[in-house]
Order: sequence, then structure tokens, then C-alpha cells
Amino acid sequence: MAVATEDYTPTIALDGARKQRGNLTQARIRWMILGVLLGFLLVGGRLVQLGMVETDQTIEGQTRDAIQASRPPILDRNGLEMALDIRVPSLYAEPRRIIDVEEAVQKLRTVLPNLSEEWLRNRLSGDRGFVWVQRELTPAIQEQVMRLGIPGIDFITESKRFYPGMNEAAHILGSTNVDNQGISGIERAMDNDSLALLQELGLARGNALTPVDLSVDMRVQHVLHNELTDAMQRYQSIAAAGVIMDIYSGEVIALASLPDFNPNEPATALVKDTFNRITSGIFEPGSIFKTVTLAGALDAGAVRMTDQFDARYGVRFGRYTISDFHGKNRILSLPEVYKYSSNIGTIRIMQEMGKDNFRAFLSRLKFDQRVEFELPEMRVPTVPKELSEVAAATASFGHGLSVSPLHMVAAYAAFANGGNYIAPTLYKRSVAEAEQLYERVLQPQTSAYMRYLMRLNAISTGGSGSQMNRAAQGYRAGGKTGTAEKVVDGRYSSSKVTNFFASAFPLDNPRYAMLIMIDEPQRENPQSGTTAGWNAGAMTGRVVQRVAPMLGIAPDFSEMLDQQIVPPEVRRIFPEGY
Amino acid sequence: MIRTINIILILASIVMLASVYALKFSIEGTASERTALTALISEQEGQLSLLKADWAVLNQPGHIDPIVRRHEAELQIAQVTQEQFGSFTALPMRPAKPDSAAMDALFEAIAQGIDPIDAILELEGIE
Repeated sequence: MAVATEDYTPTIALDGARKQRGNLTQARIRWMILGVLLGFLLVGGRLVQLGMVETDQTIEGQTRDAIQASRPPILDRNGLEMALDIRVPSLYAEPRRIIDVEEAVQKLRTVLPNLSEEWLRNRLSGDRGFVWVQRELTPAIQEQVMRLGIPGIDFITESKRFYPGMNEAAHILGSTNVDNQGISGIERAMDNDSLALLQELGLARGNALTPVDLSVDMRVQHVLHNELTDAMQRYQSIAAAGVIMDIYSGEVIALASLPDFNPNEPATALVKDTFNRITSGIFEPGSIFKTVTLAGALDAGAVRMTDQFDARYGVRFGRYTISDFHGKNRILSLPEVYKYSSNIGTIRIMQEMGKDNFRAFLSRLKFDQRVEFELPEMRVPTVPKELSEVAAATASFGHGLSVSPLHMVAAYAAFANGGNYIAPTLYKRSVAEAEQLYERVLQPQTSAYMRYLMRLNAISTGGSGSQMNRAAQGYRAGGKTGTAEKVVDGRYSSSKVTNFFASAFPLDNPRYAMLIMIDEPQRENPQSGTTAGWNAGAMTGRVVQRVAPMLGIAPDFSEMLDQQIVPPEVRRIFPEGY
Repeated sequence: MIRTINIILILASIVMLASVYALKFSIEGTASERTALTALISEQEGQLSLLKADWAVLNQPGHIDPIVRRHEAELQIAQVTQEQFGSFTALPMRPAKPDSAAMDALFEAIAQGIDPIDAILELEGIE
């Protein structure tokens, strides 16, 4: 056929019926292909379009994942939980899906009557994709709300921090906000270390986090908190605080400050006066500072244990005379200066040492900087850079400078442990690890003298720690009282005082240092007084009596233990030792 | 020939179609089972966390102490005092050797029918 059409002008060619049908089929196939292609393009286009749409996963500025961020459980030194995560339901709404706002408001208020009607109506109307209604509810309420069957209302499971100890370790633990981020205490310190980063990266999910071990012993913490509560009531004081520290490892065994708050309700932490008095309160330490003065002077070799000091007359500075509270008005030996808490004697001892050496010793004990400690709530102590003659004299017995109780307990730990300063910690630390951090501040011999002086104060007649020793018989505790008068209207007031008792036990082989503070105590009964021995001292004794068996210290009444720590040179002035 | 192949192919494709559908549905079933299990696990983890929290509360010294105080009178318990602690070293040593002569005398007396306890009881007036 090709040959036929090539040589001739086109002729009329009549297609056969079969060919016509063939052409028609081909056209139909083309149309079909076109149709199918169009169909595929349509589907493909829609797919691309869907891929471009970003789904709204944000929950008021956060991703859904972040609210389930979990925190590691916090355990005490014996493995008892102090803080853990619980899963709780939180109620949210999708206003754009709510059909009848009025009905939803009425129904929700039958289960959650504390929600304001006005607020709830505003919350649920509008075209938003996600709003919180109320966070961190109980499973029972979740059940009730689910039964209401309101469209556009649902629950999401969140992690919430729970503190089973309630108030007891409030200032150690601090608290977390509704998004499970630490806002104070050790929770904040953990976030600062590394946890915040983990949460941000999304690695802190589920319960797989390694627990954090603290140095705190919850049993001791309970006793301390319990006794402080008792002291607040017994002495009608405005505040009370205490801390117990292991003198060799620097571990804080217990730390409490009243008034406190319930970390399960972070709002209670905002109430006035609930700050942590141990770390972020600075106070004039009063007579407990005499221990520092004596330790410095003995260590520098400026005075010896057997030296005598004239305490018959007050020390004059221009118009002012500094005298003793319970003046003995006679010549006192060094142990007597300590025992009777003589201001005059202490000033003379400081003067033997020289005020510049004394000031340098305060720096060596880190009294002019913050204590290295995990809790973020800290205040810088106020210790004058240069001491005048008068300032040095008042500083020697703890006036004219303010330090935190944590400074004092760290110093007392160094006095008792052989003369090594170790910064306190809330994390577990072995003695071997702590030894790497030791800084020598006293010679071991001076530390032995200090142990003797502290014990002397407890068992010798007229010693200011005898109230303490009455309850703590057999545990060889000893320490120093401090009654610091408060400044009211620019003058020292004798009725408003802050009382301290700094101590260590058991002094024949010391393990723990303790500091108790009671703010503005009243007399317990007409026979007692308001000085520190009556309240802070007596309370220390009660705490020692209860915690010593827990800490593995057996009572021992043998006098030999006490006689062992009497330095030989003291026997020349006190043949009987005490 | 071709016809048989076609029939076989058609049958094969029907079988494969059916099996693919079956597979699809079984996977969907497994997936929903998995989702249900995940939900169950997370719910139980939530309950577990609450139980752990309960346990921790019940174990707190601050929770136990008031209970002890409440039952002090009934159970006749009190705070341990220093005098109640003892140690093995504080126990007196055992006598170097038993007093055999006294023991012999005692056994002989009993053998003869004299009970030394009777004498003591009579002396005290107890019968």
C-alpha cells in the first residue's frame, strides 16, 4: 500500500470499517491515559500540599514532649526517696472543636467548682487549637471529667514532682515549677549542673534517669526538724534553724530552717520569712565566734593554754568600755576565759595575736567569701576588710561582722577534725575524696586543744554548755554558746537576741559538728533564762540524744574518755582535768 | 497453552491479592494491639509512680514517728535512753571454771530427796 500511494497524487482512499474502529480505539486510549495522568497529578499535588502544611503541635509555647520531662528521683543516704516523679493528668481544651461553650462551662464547673465561670468561658471560646484548663489533677477528677463527655476537652499525662517528706527537707530540696524545672534548692542546683540540658535535648523521659544520692539522712533530718518545731513552740521564738555536718567528709547530714514551706505547694515558699537561714541568712555570731579567736591565737603560738588573762576591769576604747556579761572580775586562765565566755579575756587573747593576724586568720577560714555549697540561695558574709582596734576587739567575740551559720559549722568542723577545712556538700562524698580537698587551717595540736575546750564547756561546773550535756549524757558532746544581741533602732537590745550553740560530738573521737540557732527566744519558764545555754544549748542536747544512736555512736559513761583529751599542760593548772 | 498460563496467572494474582489484604489487616490488628498495650503500659506506669509515691510517704520517718507516739502508752514503749545501750565487752566474763564441789553437793542433796529451793520457799513463807 505504501508503494501505491507514493507515486501518485492523493487518491480518495476509503478506510475500511476495521481501520476506522482502530483509530477510534487509539483515540480512546489517549484520552484514558490523559485522564489517568490528570488523576495522578491531582493526587500528587494534594500530597505535596499536605506535606507543606505544618501541623500545630505547640502547647502554649512549648512542645508536647517538654511537659513530660522527668527528673531523676532524689534519695537520701540510706536510699529513701526524698523526691520522685508522679504521672498526673492535666486537663486541656481545644476551643475550635468545642461545639457549645456554655454547656461545656456548666458541665466542667460541676466537677471543678473552683474555676471561675467568667474565666472558663473566655478560655474555651475562640479559635485556638490548645489551651490548658487546669494542670496536675488527680485520676479521680480525670474519671469524672471523662464521664461528662464534652467534645474538645481531653487529658494529657504530665510528670509532676512529689516530695513525700513534705516540709521536712524543704530547704534542702527546694521546689520545681509546673513545667518540672527546678526553681530553688538542690533541684535548681541539679538543673544548673546538667539536667536542664538533658531535658532540652529530650533525653530526660520516662523513669530511666539515675537517682541522685544526697548526703542527708532523713531520720536525722526528721529529728532535727522535729526538735526545731518543738523549740519554736517551747521558746516562742520567731525562727529556728540547725545543721549537722560530717566533719571528715563535709557531708551535710541534716539541714533545716523554720519557718519553712511545703515543696509540694511551691506557692508556700513565697511566704515571708521562709528563707533558708542556714545558707542565706547572715547573723552576728556572738560568742560562738570566741572559739575562732582562741583557735587562731593558739595556732599562731601567740598564747598558750596555761596563760592567764586579766579580766578584772573592762577594756577601754576611748569613751567605751567593753566588759563581761557574767563578770568574774578576776584573773582567768585561758580555759576559764572560754568556759565563762569572757569578752575581756577574748579581747586580750586577740590583742596578743595582733589584729592583722586575726583578720588574716578569718580569711584563712573563708569567712569573707561564700561557702562553696550546692544550694543556690547564698548570701555574701559581711566581714570588714580592715579591722580597727575597736572593730577587732568586738569581732573577737562575734560582733560587728555577720556570717551565715553554714560558715560557722564549717569552721567548727575544721576545729574538731584535726584542723582541715572542708567545704560542706549535699552530695555523697567519701572521706578519701574529701581528703583531696582538705585545706589545712590549724595544726593538729591546736585542734586537740579546741576539742578539750569544747568538752570542758560542757562538763565543767559553770560551763555554758552544761544545759546541753544534761540531755546528751554519755555522748561526749561539747560546744560553745553564743547570745548575740540584735540591733534595734541602731542600738544593741538586750531583750531581742539571736542564740546559737555550735558543737561537736563525740569529742573523744569526733565525727559530727552541729549548729543550732534560735531567733528571739523567750524564757521557757520563770526559772530559766534567755541566754543560749537555756534554749539553743538544751535543744542541741536533745538532738544529740536522739540522733547519736542513729549515727552509730554508742553512749559511754567512762570518765577515762574525757580524761584522755585533757592536754598534759592543762593538768598543771587543773589537776583534775576539768 | 497461553490460556492455561493466563488462568494460572489470574489465579496466582487473586491468591496474592487476598494474601496481601490479609497481611494488611493482620498488621493493622497488630498495630492497634500495640497501641493498646502502649497505652496500658503508660497507664500502669502512672499507677506505679503513684504507688511508689505512696510507699515513699509511708516510709518517711516523719510519717512513722507520729504513729509511734500515738501508740506509746498502749504498747508501753518509750524513747531509748543512754543507760539502755550495752555492748558485748561490757558483759562480765564467764567464771574461769565451774565450781564443781558445790555442784556435786547440790546433786547429792537432790538425790537424797532434799530440794534446796523448798528451804528457800519455806523461809520466804511461800508454799
